[in-house]
Amino acid sequence: MVEQHIIDLTNEVFEESFEIEIEKLQPEMNIFNDLGLDSLDIVDLVVALQNKFGVRIRSDERVRNIRTLGDIYQFISALKNEGLSSSDGRGQE
Amino acid sequence: MLTLIVLNSYFYLTFLLFSVVWIPLCTLLVVILALFSSRGTTMKRFRRLISWYGLTVIKVLPFPLVRVRYKDYCTNPSPGAHIFVCNHRSASDPFLMACLPYECVQVANDWPFRLPVLGIYARWAGYLSVKEMAFEEFSRRAIALLDQGVSIIAFPEGTRSGSKTMGQFHGSIFRVALEAGYPIVPVCISGNERIPARGSLLLRPGTIRVHKLPALRWEQYKDLKPFVLKNRVRDLLAGELAVMDAGTECEECPVPHPGRAGGDGVTGEQQRAFRA
Repeated sequence: MVEQHIIDLTNEVFEESFEIEIEKLQPEMNIFNDLGLDSLDIVDLVVALQNKFGVRIRSDERVRNIRTLGDIYQFISALKNEGLSSSDGRGQE
Repeated sequence: MLTLIVLNSYFYLTFLLFSVVWIPLCTLLVVILALFSSRGTTMKRFRRLISWYGLTVIKVLPFPLVRVRYKDYCTNPSPGAHIFVCNHRSASDPFLMACLPYECVQVANDWPFRLPVLGIYARWAGYLSVKEMAFEEFSRRAIALLDQGVSIIAFPEGTRSGSKTMGQFHGSIFRVALEAGYPIVPVCISGNERIPARGSLLLRPGTIRVHKLPALRWEQYKDLKPFVLKNRVRDLLAGELAVMDAGTECEECPVPHPGRAGGDGVTGEQQRAFRA
């Protein structure tokens, strides 16, 4: 289950960076076919998401599999959780 | 059906004969003239001959099976280079661009460059194979051409739709426009969805309409983000295409349709759309 604030912040990125109306920002929307992003827009999106969430996004298999807005929510959620667990781990050492 | 086959046979036969005669003849002419001219003048001549070739192939040879009507809705066209942005429904689109009275090169996928003879000439003319280069290289070469006064024609859908639907736009050419500062001119093509249909060589009878809309000057779009710009231009094309496809346009209509000509080449509706 993705936290609501991750959904809200991700939607904010789409509104601010691409001026896409909030009504269009549904989890099932394909970011290429429905929202109209292209490969160059993805670069802008990655930068904006990094700035918004304070995370570092690397080009790995998970990023390449992203198709829908829901995939982005889940990806960011997973990234945040990984960040938390790695910082917890460091705290225990 | 028999008439259609006869007319198509006639078209492809004359197309072949014309190509066999015209291409070597023009090549020879350009090579001879190149000995006495600068590179810029030679390229200009070369591109003009390609344009005449395209006009003959799309307007003369298929007539009366196919008719082409070109309309320029810009009442005050500016000189110099432009960036033409077109919808893409059929393989005949690149030939139809010969209607534009400018020295142009086209942005294409890699496959047109693999066509026998025509692909080689496209490369010689400086056409840009967008799939074969990184965006930075594409941008550098496109801006260099624009700075030389050569207009760029792009089909940002990237591939033929084969129908009246319009695909999403790729933003490369709009990023170039934002960086280079040249006017963007939407060009709408309607009526050639089956001339020829995707996956076919058969030309169906029909009238193809090409409408060149007023230019959007850099001052009007410079503050837009690339994503927003590409979708605004897409909306302008979609609006005009809806009118063209519905067949509701009036040839001598005194009231311009949305997106069409205004006094300085830009309609109030276009300006409002861009300010929205």
